[in-house]
Amino acid sequence: MTTAAMHIARTGLDAQDMRMRVISNNLANVATTGFKRDRAAFETLNYQTVTAAGAQSTQETKYATGLSLGTGVRVQGTARIDTQGSLNTTGNSLDLALDGDGYFQVQLPGGQLGYTRAGNFSRSAEGLMVTSEGYQVMPGITVPEGATAITIGTDGTVSATVPGQTEAQNIGQIQVASFANGAGLQNTGDNYLVETAASGAANLGVPGENGRGRVRQGMLEASNVNVVQELVDMIETQRAYEVNSKMISATDDMLKYVNQNI
Amino acid sequence: MDKLVYTAATGLKAHMAAQAAIANNMANVSTTGFRADRVVFDRVEMKGGGARFEARAPASEEITDIDRSSGAIIQTGRNLDLALNGRDDWLAVQAVDGTEAYTKRGDLSVSPAGTLQTGDGFIVMGDGGPVTVPPYDRISIVGDGSISIVPQGDASGAEQVIGKLKLVSTNGTNTSKGLDNLLRVKGGGVLPDNLDAKVTTGALEGSNVNMTQVLVDMIENQRSYEVQANLLKEAKTMDEGAASVMRMPG
Repeated sequence: MTTAAMHIARTGLDAQDMRMRVISNNLANVATTGFKRDRAAFETLNYQTVTAAGAQSTQETKYATGLSLGTGVRVQGTARIDTQGSLNTTGNSLDLALDGDGYFQVQLPGGQLGYTRAGNFSRSAEGLMVTSEGYQVMPGITVPEGATAITIGTDGTVSATVPGQTEAQNIGQIQVASFANGAGLQNTGDNYLVETAASGAANLGVPGENGRGRVRQGMLEASNVNVVQELVDMIETQRAYEVNSKMISATDDMLKYVNQNI
Repeated sequence: MDKLVYTAATGLKAHMAAQAAIANNMANVSTTGFRADRVVFDRVEMKGGGARFEARAPASEEITDIDRSSGAIIQTGRNLDLALNGRDDWLAVQAVDGTEAYTKRGDLSVSPAGTLQTGDGFIVMGDGGPVTVPPYDRISIVGDGSISIVPQGDASGAEQVIGKLKLVSTNGTNTSKGLDNLLRVKGGGVLPDNLDAKVTTGALEGSNVNMTQVLVDMIENQRSYEVQANLLKEAKTMDEGAASVMRMPG
């Protein structure tokens, strides 16, 4: 018995369920520094031709229209929405936010480079500028022992006043990575993204130049999750799930009717 | 047995296929730029010889067209997302077989090879063939479909126009949806560039499947399936009646 309708509706249930997972992950990360929301992108499954348009219907005539039936839907991927999150002032001198495009580069354990928008950095015991996980910010910046008044300019220049000296001195330069296709970066969790063949190689440069974002000291970028939007999406997903499940029961009723009455 | 059963059976088959088409519309309620399929029942006329007796008309179902109404516009804020403002305006893409076809899907991205493609992987056509994007620092698409970039490493930050999306109008042309969910001109051919078409960037046009409508369609189809099933049952009763009349007494 071919009950295509039921299987098609099932693809709808699967896809909406997956979309719900994306939405719940967005909502769960509403307070995650530098988090970018994901959007589930749907795609139709293949259509199957039952009657081809233009096929011979008789020796002299052709079918003017064809019959092709779709076979459902799937979630083909998630698209990260890289809109700017709002900047919250923290006053912490090593809290950095990016105002504009780009990512901070971080040395992940195992040698891989990670990219993040979460700029809640701190000074390690060795004096290095590190993330909250202790991963070094690249290129490495060493904050001298006892340094006071660390200032980071919008172009990423880091200066500090070292004990015994009155003049602030330049101790490093924060660089921002940009990608040909930032949407192609892969999310590895813990706020880090890694480069893929789709994203292209990282292009490091001075913040504020060539379309890269500027560095804002003493601020953190909030997640760009809009709770209202997620809630609307959630309700929409729920309703779509409901109608698809109704389709399964309606088709079941059709079969039941035939089974019981004939 | 009377041929009524066969007529009713084609009806059952057709309604089950229609249910599949309705299920497909329903499943694609969240697919960006999806256009719902319209199911139309067609009578298959059986013409009997010279007497032209046309009593029986088994049903055959067809998807003759798509619903061309607009979908909801959803703001995304992504600079490569676009929604086509006009109801009959479509974006030209290259189908797998290399021919030009049309879509309403506007979630564009730049592939690793530098081509501009839609969310479902079709290469976007510009006014001069497929759009190739050189390495850039910033990319944007404006209202008339022009694509501009700030080339990679250009310190001046000046925008350069690298091309224009091919936007077409299906108004006045007979078009139909193919198996790849793309619209094509019936009988082949391409549509001319519609210079009046406008796009909204940072937004996507959703599916135009109307959930309430699709639920009503579903229930209506279910009931009419039951009617066909009843016809089948009636045919069975009639046949039994005829058989009992012919049964030898005793």
